[in-house]
Amino acid sequence: MADFPVDQAVSEGRVPERSPELVPELHEVECPPELREQIETLIGRYPDRHSVSIPALWAVQRLYGWCTPEGIRQAAAVMRVTPAYLESVASFYDLLHTEPVGSHKVAVCTNISCWMRGGDELLDAFRAAAEGREDLFVTGFECLGACDIAPMASIDERYFGPLETAEAHTAIDQLLAGENVLPEKSLEKRPLAGDSDA
Amino acid sequence: MSREVTLIIDGREVSATEGEMLHDAAKRGDVEIPVFCYEPKLGDPVGACRMCLVEIEGIPKLQTSCSTPVRDGMVVHTRTEQVKHAQSAVVEFLLVNHPLDCPVCDKGGECPLQDISMGWGPGKSRMTDQKRHFEKPIELSPLVAIDRERCILCYRCVRFSQEISEDSQLQLLERGDRTFVGTFDDRPYVDPFHGNITDLCPVGALTSYTYRFRARPWDIEQAGSVCTLCPSQCNVSFTVRDEQVKRVIARDNPDVDDGWLCDRGRYGFEMFAAEERVSEPRLRGGAVNWDEALAKAAAALKAGGAETAAIVGDASNEEGYLVQRVLREALGSPHVESRVSHGPSRNTMLRLAQPELSARVRDIDDADAILVVGSDPLHSSPILDLRIRKAMRRNGAKLVVATDRPTTLDGGAAAIVRYAPREASAFLAGLAADVGTPSSLATRRSDAEVLTPDAPSSSRAKRSEGVPTSAEVLSNAERVVVIWGERIAREGEEAIGTLLGIAEALDLAGKEGSGLLEIPDLTNARGLREAGCLPDAGPGLTETKSMLSPSQGSNMPLVGKGTEEIREGLESGELTTLLLFGVDPLRDFPDTPAWQRALAAADHLIVFSTFENATTKMADVVFPLETHAEKDGTVTHPDGRLQRVRPSASRPGDIRPNWGVLAELSQTLGHDTGVTSQPSAFAALAEAVPFYAGITDADIAGRGVRWQDRDAAASLPVPESAVPERAAGAGSPGTPRDSEPGDPVPGAHPASSSLTLGTYRDLWAGPITELNPPLKFLQPRQRVELSLSDAKRLNVSSGDEVDVSQNGTTVRAHVSIRERIEPGVCFLIEGTAEDNANGLLNGSPVSVTIEKTAG
Amino acid sequence: MPETRVLLEHAEDPALREIEGYKRYGGYATLEKAYREMEADVILKELEDSGLRGRGGAGFSMGKKASFLPRGEMAKYLCCNADESEPGAFKDRELMQRNPHQLIEGIAIAAIAAGAGHAFIFIRGEYDAQADILDAAVAEAYEAGYLGKDILGSRRDLELVVHRGAGAYICGEETALLDALEGKRGNPRLKPPFPAVQGLYGGPTLINNVETLSNVPRIVAHGAEWFRGFGTEQSPGTKVVSVSGGVRRSGNYEVELGIPTRELIYDLAGGPLEGREVKAFYPGGSSSPVLTPAELDLPYSFEAMAEAGSMLGSGSIIVADDSVSIPHMALRTARFYHHESCGKCTPCREGTNWTVKMLERVVRGEATPMDLDIISSVQDNIMGHCLCVLGDSMAMPVSAMVKKFRPEFEDVIASAAEASPIAAVQGVPETLGAAR
Ligand SMILES: Cc1cc2nc3c(=O)[nH]c(=O)nc-3n(C[C@H](O)[C@H](O)[C@H](O)COP(=O)(O)O)c2cc1C
Ligand code: SF4
Ligand code: FES
Repeated sequence: MADFPVDQAVSEGRVPERSPELVPELHEVECPPELREQIETLIGRYPDRHSVSIPALWAVQRLYGWCTPEGIRQAAAVMRVTPAYLESVASFYDLLHTEPVGSHKVAVCTNISCWMRGGDELLDAFRAAAEGREDLFVTGFECLGACDIAPMASIDERYFGPLETAEAHTAIDQLLAGENVLPEKSLEKRPLAGDSDA
Repeated sequence: MSREVTLIIDGREVSATEGEMLHDAAKRGDVEIPVFCYEPKLGDPVGACRMCLVEIEGIPKLQTSCSTPVRDGMVVHTRTEQVKHAQSAVVEFLLVNHPLDCPVCDKGGECPLQDISMGWGPGKSRMTDQKRHFEKPIELSPLVAIDRERCILCYRCVRFSQEISEDSQLQLLERGDRTFVGTFDDRPYVDPFHGNITDLCPVGALTSYTYRFRARPWDIEQAGSVCTLCPSQCNVSFTVRDEQVKRVIARDNPDVDDGWLCDRGRYGFEMFAAEERVSEPRLRGGAVNWDEALAKAAAALKAGGAETAAIVGDASNEEGYLVQRVLREALGSPHVESRVSHGPSRNTMLRLAQPELSARVRDIDDADAILVVGSDPLHSSPILDLRIRKAMRRNGAKLVVATDRPTTLDGGAAAIVRYAPREASAFLAGLAADVGTPSSLATRRSDAEVLTPDAPSSSRAKRSEGVPTSAEVLSNAERVVVIWGERIAREGEEAIGTLLGIAEALDLAGKEGSGLLEIPDLTNARGLREAGCLPDAGPGLTETKSMLSPSQGSNMPLVGKGTEEIREGLESGELTTLLLFGVDPLRDFPDTPAWQRALAAADHLIVFSTFENATTKMADVVFPLETHAEKDGTVTHPDGRLQRVRPSASRPGDIRPNWGVLAELSQTLGHDTGVTSQPSAFAALAEAVPFYAGITDADIAGRGVRWQDRDAAASLPVPESAVPERAAGAGSPGTPRDSEPGDPVPGAHPASSSLTLGTYRDLWAGPITELNPPLKFLQPRQRVELSLSDAKRLNVSSGDEVDVSQNGTTVRAHVSIRERIEPGVCFLIEGTAEDNANGLLNGSPVSVTIEKTAG
Repeated sequence: MPETRVLLEHAEDPALREIEGYKRYGGYATLEKAYREMEADVILKELEDSGLRGRGGAGFSMGKKASFLPRGEMAKYLCCNADESEPGAFKDRELMQRNPHQLIEGIAIAAIAAGAGHAFIFIRGEYDAQADILDAAVAEAYEAGYLGKDILGSRRDLELVVHRGAGAYICGEETALLDALEGKRGNPRLKPPFPAVQGLYGGPTLINNVETLSNVPRIVAHGAEWFRGFGTEQSPGTKVVSVSGGVRRSGNYEVELGIPTRELIYDLAGGPLEGREVKAFYPGGSSSPVLTPAELDLPYSFEAMAEAGSMLGSGSIIVADDSVSIPHMALRTARFYHHESCGKCTPCREGTNWTVKMLERVVRGEATPMDLDIISSVQDNIMGHCLCVLGDSMAMPVSAMVKKFRPEFEDVIASAAEASPIAAVQGVPETLGAAR
């Protein structure tokens, strides 16, 4: 067999374009005091500071809308772990976003029960309604634990259902206008199934 | 303790140790069970790949043999239909997403996935759908490429990063079959040990750029040797093609390296063929033939006679032994050294060398407490850093770190003590007092500056409740290993006396598994001292009078000059000739200006060197040295293990074995050493060093042999005053025993305009990053590390260029603010190509001023 | 047939959420009694005798599990599993939302039995509203002295933290839950060691489902015998059952274990929608092998479901009516497990991925009947070979669907192929060395 081409870059040596990221020191990140305080309070609640990784990432996401690299570094500096560790954790979970997303979040269930009751169509309706609107993140989601109100959606972390496709538009308008979203479809208000007269 | 059990594997009786994993027991019984994720070096099994499923009678479900401990009477089947079905299913699953690009894969031919697919796979895959795609290969680091399509998600590499090097940079990202191995924000993975992941990866997902496409398994040879780039002396295997080193991989030796290598040893081989390599003898005019060079050198040495001195550094035991014979026997000069600065006297050396006081590397694993004092293993003996982490992680060992500069081990330490540069002796004195008299524990003197490991803020020094003092940690432990840096000795002999006093008080000699382990400055320091390269001790640490050869008469002084005295002797004219063997004082020794003057003052300078450097430029004669890939010889590990460096590659140019050059030089000087070959050189050494007596090549073999473990160890001379210097130095003036928590670090000058200078030898400072192109990106620029408060006071921020000056000498550096640096001190790197901190050192405590450079 | 509301008693009263309301119905009286006069062993015995089986899926005896924890002074932990993420399950949501204090009281009493000083409720991140309710309730319980240091002067402490997950079904698997709680990626651990011996932070840990723990106050209050008065010999007690899919009144119904399944689906949930019939149903969440209308009269109990080759699991019935395409339903099911597989072990990671790809080809008409054999064989290759049972949770229902509805799979392939002629061409296999 002929000689393999020697990787030319090697003989000269490669130079990384960016620096590696170890545990950042607090003075190297500009961690907003309230974020630092929140995370430090959380650390006090658990026997081991590593336990706060999810709550700390939630705090980062609440502050920045998603888990920004800078936010992850800030949390990492307070927790004294590598940002890589937190990114690894964040990327494991569906609710933590390591890419930019709109700050209003709509998750439409497309799992078995919702699918049977029109979940796919509802997702399409939400997507269409969100078209061209800013600061919105619409996504299909696995079972949200509300098959009783299928087809359903979680809108800014509150559950609504059963929804008609026509209601997607209304919901998004209300959401962006800062109004109460579909008050009559809120899970909050639903009686126990056995007590309803439907 | 651990009981022998018997079990039956595939109808055969196999004996095993209780608690051992079934996979390992089977292996010893010659039953191979395929594995991917299992790698005992990485710690507890994770049972993730499911390749090793076997049937155990009485358990309905198949079990992973990598994680099932053996039990007596267990009956195991590894080749039943049920097992075969499971194994071939797992192989088929692994290939669902694995590309079939073996013909162009670097791992081809030495790939566990390939081998296991052949042996246990279904033969062909029924999978016809698309495989997952990634951009490939991409740069994981400047040294390692990652091909994520080939990754089988065995997690070995990320476990290495989490649990062995504990750098936590390499992580799994995403979930399920979308999972991939990566770093934060696609940053490069840079860590001194990261090359190990290429050895660990069972497929071609992680490959070294230095080896990609360089060779195929069928045209290479593997040659076992020892890396002598630092005192860790890790065991390596050179991958050699056309008599040239193409790759360095680990050659597991649990007594030395635990199967890991640092990236210096792994990637520091392209320099073997560097342009700067000295590959033939040279005179001032340029390259000459050997006869001419030898004649010139002999003439110079003859002229120097008893006014000749020699300093030996990167050398094998045999080379060191021959150098001191040339000096002592052929020239009648006692001035032989092997240390970069002051060291203890022979008697203290003897006390340190007592076999029962000496810890083996393996003892770290089982230690209950470990004291690291005066050295940062990461920089000075990297592989020990991993070993200490392992002891903490797996064995719960309690670590005390006592250093001037923060270390990466601080995070896991039970107690941290920070002392000011050159104040290790003060810490030791306090500790000696504390462990010497138990009642004084309450005063916690040694921990005046204890930090809680969990609070690395710059607000220093308040000991928090419940944090044990270093004395408490050490006194309460049964097995204690003390890892100490040779540097402590620069503060004076008393410091080592105090260390010995502490060892005595803790009864390290009497407790199995306890002892002292030195981290010396030079790679074969122990071997060279034992071979006689000390001004006051001959081979075997014998008194120098016994070295007198009859022909020299008895007017030879018994004790030669130490390093600094040699330097002064050259400057004053008391010495005229200097032979340097594998050392570069202008880079590596403290006080560069003084060395510059000394070398210039020498009438004759003979330098044995691997590479051209500032020192060779001043030499009258330069002889080439062999690298550890070329050399044949023995070295002695700091724990007393003799290991053999074996010639693996050809010597470039006109390089000769150095034992031969030295023997010939001696011959030319009219003194026959009787050495005619490497074996005869070793035989002569073993004869001269009583406690090496009888060691043969076969004893050393692949793993080395500790001389303390042999009967001949008894012939180590008895030190004169073995009386413990109980709490030595406790009352001596200048020890800051009376400092209280919250006091400034003794010797530091917070709030004054000057800072106390500390220096350290960075892992990457030196020719290693200058002569190996792949490592070039790691070459450190000089930087001055200081605390946040000092930075604020001096009005500098990270990255600023500053002048660090003392007494008219200046080193230019960039500011690096570090939380864990104490106020009042700052640190510079020794051995950098430019702005070397050694230029500022002068043997006493140094205060420096820091000023922003203009513009 | 009416419900038998025990856990859901008074659940219609919104005041139950607050500590005052809960106490008005007798809440925390059992806790007070337990702290004042009951030894851990007495509580433990009551729980064991009651025969209460875990409501999280595996149905293991709760008392027995608690008794596995070693005695002694080491730090022990209790984790309430509120991750409820299996498709079809939504009963823990109801219990937490309507009666959070019942759960807190159950946790506190179980903590005495287990000797735990630190407890956690691991709640799925999507249940933000319920987590808020729990947070408020926990704060009230601390305020009232039912949590914290030296509870009711007993010199016993209990810290309780509501820990929100962040969207990963696997975190409901008990050892993955522990890893997640320790701040890691939620990957299951190798067992043994079992959590009862070495769990959270390496300490002995009791893990139980929300509904399991919600049962504790009443069992301790009224005794094991009272509890055994409900349900069957092997499945004592009541069960909150989530019924959804093709039924008129989907929702949670609390019934005695052992009632005929038909009553749940037809009487309580109102039966199939107008003009529809039951075609198949998952009796215990999406990981249970589907049953057919012929099995509608089976008693709804752990033992009867197991005997029928399925399982009661978390007690969630999903009904598929005759409008539902089973191959499509199989694909939905497989997709879920593929999406949720943590990726740690090979058969689950690759098996779920491969199965989804094959089922996608089935519904696109790009498969052959031989692919159906491969699908079945891949399910066989997954089963029993994984690190945890997530892989099996896909393999069981998918393989049941292929087995019980094979002709429908073949029909779907044929008609999809007909609808889209190019689809008939099989996906081109990747050639050797094609990847560069
Ligand atoms: C993939 C997977 C997901 C699970 N999810 C849940 C869950 O969401 N809630 C739950 O209580 N148990 C869940 N379990 C079962 C738990 O592992 C565990 O058996 C249970 O929490 C024990 O509580 P119990 O004995 O009270 O049922 C799951 C198991 C598996 C394998
Ligand atoms: S890159 Fe290699 S070592 Fe790392 S997980 Fe993948 S296959 Fe294993
Ligand atoms: S299937 Fe939609 S909430 Fe469960």
